[in-house]
Amino acid sequence: MNASGRAEIFDLGYQRYEGERTGRWRRRRAIWRDGVRISLGLGRGAGAKVAPWVLIAFSLAPAAVLIVLAAFLGSVATNPDDFDLPSYAEYYEFAIIPLALFAAVIAPLLVCPDRRSGVLSLYAARPITPADYVASRWTAFLTVALALAWIPEAALFAWNLLDARNTGAWVSDNWDVVPRFLLAGAVIAVFLTTLTLFVASFTSRRAYAAIGTFAVLFVGGAVGGIARNNFDGTLADVLSQADLLQALVNTQRWIFGAQLDEHSVPGPVSALWLAALTVVLAAWLLRRTDRMVRG
Amino acid sequence: MPLVRVSGVSKSFGAVRALDAASFEIDEGVTGLLGSNGAGKTTSLKLFMGLLEPDAGSIEVLGRDTRGSVEYRMRIGYSPEHECLPPGASAAEFLAYMAELSGLPRAAARLRASDLLRHVGLFEERYRPMGTYSTGMKQRVKLAQALVHDPVLAFLDEPTAGLDPLGRRDMLELIRRVGRDFGISIVISTHLMGDVERTCDAVVVLGAGKVLRAGAVAGLTEETESVLVDVVAGADALARGLTARGMEVQVDGNRLTLPRVSSDDYDVLRDAIVETGVLLYRLAPERHSLAAVFDAPPAETELEAS
Repeated sequence: MNASGRAEIFDLGYQRYEGERTGRWRRRRAIWRDGVRISLGLGRGAGAKVAPWVLIAFSLAPAAVLIVLAAFLGSVATNPDDFDLPSYAEYYEFAIIPLALFAAVIAPLLVCPDRRSGVLSLYAARPITPADYVASRWTAFLTVALALAWIPEAALFAWNLLDARNTGAWVSDNWDVVPRFLLAGAVIAVFLTTLTLFVASFTSRRAYAAIGTFAVLFVGGAVGGIARNNFDGTLADVLSQADLLQALVNTQRWIFGAQLDEHSVPGPVSALWLAALTVVLAAWLLRRTDRMVRG
Repeated sequence: MPLVRVSGVSKSFGAVRALDAASFEIDEGVTGLLGSNGAGKTTSLKLFMGLLEPDAGSIEVLGRDTRGSVEYRMRIGYSPEHECLPPGASAAEFLAYMAELSGLPRAAARLRASDLLRHVGLFEERYRPMGTYSTGMKQRVKLAQALVHDPVLAFLDEPTAGLDPLGRRDMLELIRRVGRDFGISIVISTHLMGDVERTCDAVVVLGAGKVLRAGAVAGLTEETESVLVDVVAGADALARGLTARGMEVQVDGNRLTLPRVSSDDYDVLRDAIVETGVLLYRLAPERHSLAAVFDAPPAETELEAS
């Protein structure tokens, strides 16, 4: 307002943008950030937050409950060995189920709505490639999955560290646990991310994608379980690999140097099988996305 | 330098030839890419954006071969014909994201998103989920997302699809304003000749993958040598009078068309009207219409010139 008390509004009209233009990595980071926000339901309505946070709580709750139990029982038990936390390998064995559930339900949110609402054609017109799009989405979900896999193991490690009578000696004896749980968690997160995004690329509906992932995991699990527990021989060993969750369990047990189930194939075989499957699914996902984005 | 240069481009999908040795150029301003379904419009747009590669020939957009890097897309915008807006997102959030993907820093992207939504008349509604928008509002968001990163050239595929007459008029006016006031060149892909006549400076007419016409809209709708005479009644009497005076006449209801009229013929026409006493409603030179341009096969020389 000027001295005479009169205000004026000026319409500056259309303003050209003369500022900086960012590089390709910044554009990829924008897709990644959007993917992380979708995975966590951030910036969405309350309804969109329910599924991710219930499943996140479901994934993190076992570690929290175990640590609370250890704290409570440790303070009342006369013998310190009365209650032991599970080993890192054992923890991953039952954490795989909530992680798979989270991946099956949430990962499709990163790709199915883009396809269903037609936004893919707008990505196609931007200075990014289909590979940029799918790799950024993949990395976004992997980031969240890695956090869910690693946080409980890190909490167990921290509890054990604090609980140690001689911290220096304990670290010296157990330092190798850290790279092992990081690697095992990465194997689980990478495989589940690739599998769920691959399945989601076949449909524009999230529910169908989730059901598809469950079908792959549980039907495969049934076939593999029957083959492993009832038959011997090479064919049974091959069929047993259809149980992808068991292959993940075998691989992470091998990474931790833990004992394998007597009916299971050797750990390196499971690891190689998962690595090969992940590469094939990733290449297929890339190809499918390229065709979808180009229309 | 033209914004788009298409040189001898052919593109086939199996046995279907979508573009057949097409050559044309698109300059600054608002240009219509006109053709019926299957004429090759969508294929052309996909080729311009580098989503398809031509089987033969080459395409340059903003001086860059579309088969090279995708970086030239930082300076182009695109609005598809079909639905492309996530229903749960707000327009402000969505436009800012699209601007970021086109190379604007985050803060600038947010500012430009609000600014563009103001220009298309959606500033007050910018935080509402787009799923609650009307068809007209969605078309305006689609236009805004094509412009949010300040492109040099924007491709709009059927921008008036699904709009009522009022919404269509407003959208065409908005597009005209973008081309005139914003300094952003526009290519409209459409099958509606009216949209091209009302909005475009130039037109490329496609038919079955071939370029039927290309040039300025004013040039394609220029006056012909024919004269149209509309009368209230007595068209047959006037036709007889003109024929008796040696003029060629075609009668269609109350309208007479006089082909190849010279300046001397106007005196003859005046005398015939006075003599027969018909009530004259309109007398005007006939203009080419885009409809006629669209229907008639082009002369070889005309194509070579275009």
